[in-house]
Amino acid sequence: MIGGRGGAGTGSGSENEGEADGESGVGTATATGTDTSTLTATDTDGPTFDTVDWTAYEDRRRLTRRELATACSLCLYVVLWAYDFSTRSSHEPLFGFGFGLSGVGLTPTNVDWLFGLTLLVGFWGVVVPLWANPRLTRYYWRRIRRNTVAVASLVFLAIVFVLGLVGPFVLGYPQAQWELGHVPPVGFGGTWAHPFGTTRNGEDLLAITVVGMRVSMQVGLVATAISIGLSTVVGTTAAFVGGRIDDVLMRVVDLVMTFPSFFLVLFLVYVYGGNLFVLILILAVTTWGGQARLIRSEALQRSTATYITAAEAAGASRWSIIRRHVVPNVSNTIITAATLSIPVLILYEAVVAFLGFGDPAVWSWGRIIADGQSELATAWWVSTIPGLFLFLTVLAFNFLGDALRDALDPRHEVDRPR
Amino acid sequence: MSTKSGMTRYVGWRLLWAVVATWFVLTVTFGILSASPNPETSQAAWEAAQSGGDPTETRAILEQRRGEGSSLSEQYVDYMVSMATFDWGESFTYNEPVTAVIADAWVYSAMTVIPATVLAVVLGFAIGLYSATHQYTKTDYAATFVAFFGISIPNFWFAIVLILVFGELLGLTPISYDSEVPFWSLAHLSSLILPITVLATAAIASEMRYARAEALEYVGAAWVKTARSKGLSELQVTVRHVFRPAMVPLITILIADFVGIIFATAYVVEVIFGIPGLGYVSYQALVRMDTPLVLATTLIPVFLTIVANLCQDVAYTMLDPRIDYEGRSR
Repeated sequence: MIGGRGGAGTGSGSENEGEADGESGVGTATATGTDTSTLTATDTDGPTFDTVDWTAYEDRRRLTRRELATACSLCLYVVLWAYDFSTRSSHEPLFGFGFGLSGVGLTPTNVDWLFGLTLLVGFWGVVVPLWANPRLTRYYWRRIRRNTVAVASLVFLAIVFVLGLVGPFVLGYPQAQWELGHVPPVGFGGTWAHPFGTTRNGEDLLAITVVGMRVSMQVGLVATAISIGLSTVVGTTAAFVGGRIDDVLMRVVDLVMTFPSFFLVLFLVYVYGGNLFVLILILAVTTWGGQARLIRSEALQRSTATYITAAEAAGASRWSIIRRHVVPNVSNTIITAATLSIPVLILYEAVVAFLGFGDPAVWSWGRIIADGQSELATAWWVSTIPGLFLFLTVLAFNFLGDALRDALDPRHEVDRPR
Repeated sequence: MSTKSGMTRYVGWRLLWAVVATWFVLTVTFGILSASPNPETSQAAWEAAQSGGDPTETRAILEQRRGEGSSLSEQYVDYMVSMATFDWGESFTYNEPVTAVIADAWVYSAMTVIPATVLAVVLGFAIGLYSATHQYTKTDYAATFVAFFGISIPNFWFAIVLILVFGELLGLTPISYDSEVPFWSLAHLSSLILPITVLATAAIASEMRYARAEALEYVGAAWVKTARSKGLSELQVTVRHVFRPAMVPLITILIADFVGIIFATAYVVEVIFGIPGLGYVSYQALVRMDTPLVLATTLIPVFLTIVANLCQDVAYTMLDPRIDYEGRSR
């Protein structure tokens, strides 16, 4: 439902009211038979059948304000990237920042640009629709709130996310201070200057942990965004086009799933190198199979829904049915699958970095855990503290994903105590 | 009669599919290797440049030696033939044929993987069943929590923490594996405890979740009520009337999923503990850029997965009489 208008005429309010054409009409057509029947049942003040504006089904449909804003912001982003790409051949920063331990320049890498793009897409695809449908949002929130562990996970992840986003600019990137050597954490003989202690080279472990948060979030979110996008396109196309194309796509999925991802990732990293950008792409293309199958089966179940028949009868093209009716209605599955795939990808990146095949320029949690392994007897904190954060992050994503499945997917309600 | 022939046809299709998948994997691997800059060659060229030699010349010599002067299609046929005949090349780090290296190494992998698998299956199923029959009790919640723990904990970090606690602090177990220790001895066993624990944890967690979910489907079934009402003990009901129907899907989930989890974990565990199994060999090959050995050690798990998938699908058709083969033309 989160995907927006397809899900419910329910929230059709705030945004569409200004323009009486188009969207609200589609809203009613799609509202029938969606799985949030509780919501649609109460929605009596929406447009009724006789007020449906059939221009919605004509070829030239007007862009909504939201679509316009999305397109504009994406264009602006691409222009920014192009500017950065063309002008910044050397390593001079795009914007300079002079605070923190050392002057940290904001020199966005390819990964940073992709991360920004992911956040932008997430904003328009998840946050804005939730904001536009306050009643739906409150309904989901009530359901998630019942699960205390999930709420705690959400809070923890929000902290990790914000720290990872902002922290490196405040704390600075870890700098070697050779004269310091190993300093234990606070409470074990250390000082507040280095609350988590330092590594053999005197690098502050807190700064490393915070940078690691950024890396993990980037890997988890960007790779998931790519792989979930791929699997959504493949899954819904296979389900709705059917026939030969379905067969071929599903055989491709079978092949993708035949490879044990871990070994494929290792092999590809061996061949192409462990640069973080390349690693993210490798992770994304090796892990989309299972999600595609899930989304296809979910979309197949929707294909018999009356709102699809209605859209077909109204002459909507196949592609527009997929985009405007199918994808929004399987968005519950998509969101859940995405949340559960993030921790898997974070773990893959950490393992690759741990084995020493990662990006040597990136302070990944896996890399610092490997660094500390040889000195467990003298400096236990180097491996354990970043590892604890890795563990908690993965755990929180798993808890959250599970809670989201309970909250978003009514058919999983059998799992709840009655 | 028709079911029988339908089944044979299905198994035949499935077999053919496994062959196609194997061919596909080999072809993709060949494609990746020939399309990319060869790490070995670039390394040699870089070294030559470092020591003042001519990188292009070195590259040419190396490629000549590897037979890359010939056309791509010849290379492809060559590669496929040698793959099919188990002529997997020579490992330069071991100065032995790759197959010989693998023949030496697999025992060490089996030593940890087999006990861990047995443990995971027995414990995972037992806990999962108990959880399902005692749904929403304290034990069930605890078991669910343990499952989340096992799935979420990064296996390499778990191994390090175990080494820190049991090896460094308590001194109960050796910190790394020593292959000089006699095979049938207590010392050998104690050095295997931690690796097996790490391996089993991840696998138990996933087994448990599946077992619980599957068994829950049957806990409320009519025949379970019948069994209870005719006075069977809880244990008998669980084992004979819940576990047996749940076993069919469980076995099939087990094979493919399990192979993935346990192979990946075994790899990392062997590297951390220094057990000279397949994972360790593969790691060393990756670090030293020993391409033939890298290829073999990463392809073996892939082949095993393909075989496991095949076994799983065939087992499913034999175990579950309700499956209709006619509708499925794979």
